[in-house]
Amino acid sequence: MTGTPYTRRNFLGLTGLAIAGAGLSACTGVSDSNSGGSSGGGGGSNKLRLFTYEDATQLDNFKAQLKTFDQQNGTVTTVDNLPGSGAAVYPDKLRTELLGGSGPDVWRIWGGQIGAPYAKAKQAADLAPYYQKYGWDSKINQNAIAGMTFDGVKSGVPFFLAGVGGWYSKAAFDKAKVDVPKSYAELEQLNDKLVAAGITPCGLGGKYGWDIMRLFEYLLEQSTGPELHDKLLSGAESWDRPEVVTAFTNFKKWQDRKWLPQGAVGLDPADIEPGYVQGKNAYTITGQWTENNAIQNAKKKSSDFGTFELPTDHTPARHSGFVEGYMINARSGNKDKAAALIDFLVKPDTQKALGITGSTVAGAEPDKAKLPLSYEWTEINKTSSFYTIQDQAFPKQQADQYFSLQSDLLQGKVAPAAAAKRMQEIVSAWAKSK
Amino acid sequence: MATATATAGITEAAPRVRRRTKHGGLAPWLFALPALIVYIVFLVYPAFSSLFFSLTDWDGLSPAYNIVGLENYRAMVDDPVVIRAAINNVIWTVVTIVFPVVIGLALAVTLNGKVRGKPILRMLYYTPGVLPLVAVASIWGWLYNPDYGAVNTLLRAIGLDGLAQPWLGQNSTALAAVMVPAIWLRTGFPMLLYLAALQGIPQDQYEAATMDGATRSQQFWHITMPNLRPAHYIVLALSLIDSFKVFDLIYATTYGGPGTATQVMGTWMYFNVFQYYHAGYGTAIAVVITLVAIAVSIPYVLSQTKEHHS
Repeated sequence: MTGTPYTRRNFLGLTGLAIAGAGLSACTGVSDSNSGGSSGGGGGSNKLRLFTYEDATQLDNFKAQLKTFDQQNGTVTTVDNLPGSGAAVYPDKLRTELLGGSGPDVWRIWGGQIGAPYAKAKQAADLAPYYQKYGWDSKINQNAIAGMTFDGVKSGVPFFLAGVGGWYSKAAFDKAKVDVPKSYAELEQLNDKLVAAGITPCGLGGKYGWDIMRLFEYLLEQSTGPELHDKLLSGAESWDRPEVVTAFTNFKKWQDRKWLPQGAVGLDPADIEPGYVQGKNAYTITGQWTENNAIQNAKKKSSDFGTFELPTDHTPARHSGFVEGYMINARSGNKDKAAALIDFLVKPDTQKALGITGSTVAGAEPDKAKLPLSYEWTEINKTSSFYTIQDQAFPKQQADQYFSLQSDLLQGKVAPAAAAKRMQEIVSAWAKSK
Repeated sequence: MATATATAGITEAAPRVRRRTKHGGLAPWLFALPALIVYIVFLVYPAFSSLFFSLTDWDGLSPAYNIVGLENYRAMVDDPVVIRAAINNVIWTVVTIVFPVVIGLALAVTLNGKVRGKPILRMLYYTPGVLPLVAVASIWGWLYNPDYGAVNTLLRAIGLDGLAQPWLGQNSTALAAVMVPAIWLRTGFPMLLYLAALQGIPQDQYEAATMDGATRSQQFWHITMPNLRPAHYIVLALSLIDSFKVFDLIYATTYGGPGTATQVMGTWMYFNVFQYYHAGYGTAIAVVITLVAIAVSIPYVLSQTKEHHS
């Protein structure tokens, strides 16, 4: 009996020590700086992990292609998919994964200021050796490569070059007896006729800012012209000028004349953007992916819809655009196989099999029979260049301030002239912080 | 000799036993050790780590950072969104405590009486509380759709066209519009707690009061409410914590917008840490949220301690 308390104490002591030991070892277990990715630190692992945001309807096809790669290379590639969030949420999860100590071996990301932080923080590997090894420079569109090159370092491999323009329902246009506009004045007339026919013209939603931004950046291109627009985005010219005031004035006009859905600022783009397919709006401003995701997934025929470049009245005629590509985790222990995977994904046959509607790869143009409208954009891109979509032109914080300003303007809380001044303050503050 | 040894042994052992009795000895600490380790590793260490990072300019991605002292805290004073977020937090906390608690209590009192279909009603009122918040956000996003949503459709159907609004699309109504689903989904929990507490009140108190001629109102204020005091503490404490840490419903419903109209401290902290790559500034906001939460919960802890001693 006398031994009982000591036995219990010993038992508790040993238990405590064991737990403390386990806890401490857990604390020190994350310090292996070379253990990025699911592949661990060993360069010989056959495991790869890829993080992406494929549309849910495309995921099975994507996995099938990865299976082909795995069979050819003896690898096991797992996919984490976060569809539907757009650039608002996906980068957060990626960043959290990277900070969590591992992160995927390969991830999909937008170019410009969305991909830039990963390159600048050296979370993304310098892909120059792989560009040389696989000859990507000669196979991939140079403008697209520039969109994933940061401070001279090629940190990503672009596979998708989006052109943003008008996508419309032919039934809605027929009902209002309107045709594709050739000038901004014609676009305004088209909007009025659609409203008169009882149809809301342009379906855009501003919940995350970036959807309704596509209208404003077009109005800015229209009022400033290509050269000044580019200078505004780079901070080389002041935003506090008449052309910008005109763009803000026109933006407000779109809301006031009911050319946008009521309360557009609070609408979720995922709900409102397919409205032109569902018969709720006449058209939207979006990219080629909408043919797959909105039209064909709704079992509608592409021939019932049309697409057009928004008229700017300037030469050269430009449209909004952006790139998407893949980056490799700088801490991946499996960079060679990750690069081989990317090379597989950007092969023309794979791009075609994946149904990429705006491939950056020569010889991987969308099938004219299956994706006729996306094919039209391949033709548009041959004669028309693009300006950087504005959520990629500015870092997220400045982009959000910009969206907030657009929101205030549409609600009448700030006048166009004051909005131009405020935008200049935002850009100046950003320039100072760089 | 044997007796002397035994006596000496008892004499020596006595202070040790007293010491152990007085201070509890090592055993309680050893019992608490597993929980303490978890607490230290997953709460205390990250908290101090955050405190440290709030004094840096870390971007949240790069391996390098600089110590900037209290600059992040000073910058908060100049940040108009912080001020707006703090005001929104106060409004949110007051509204999403008062309404669910009052409505929950009213429902509990009603359901505690003779009501038909009591289990079904109880389930109906509690169901919103178990729905995933992202689903709630989507549901209410559709309900609030200015053109096709049920809210405006109903208003137009009953001739109140003038009241139909873009509820989530304008600064003036967005926060209130998000508070409605918050109230809707948070009413069930206080209702259940109050219902349980009501069922524990002895019936003879009401019978005696009735014999003495007390009205139903007098019975409610002088019997029901005093008996619900422990339940009030629990409901208020949990509601306060729940309200103060608001994040997900606002994030999923309005994303802090339009503009920054519905930002609260939690979402603004998240935006800075995870989207703007201002981890230092974001953690400074997190530290302030924590300090305010501690300050706000002190009266509750003190009242609980007082209650325990009395």
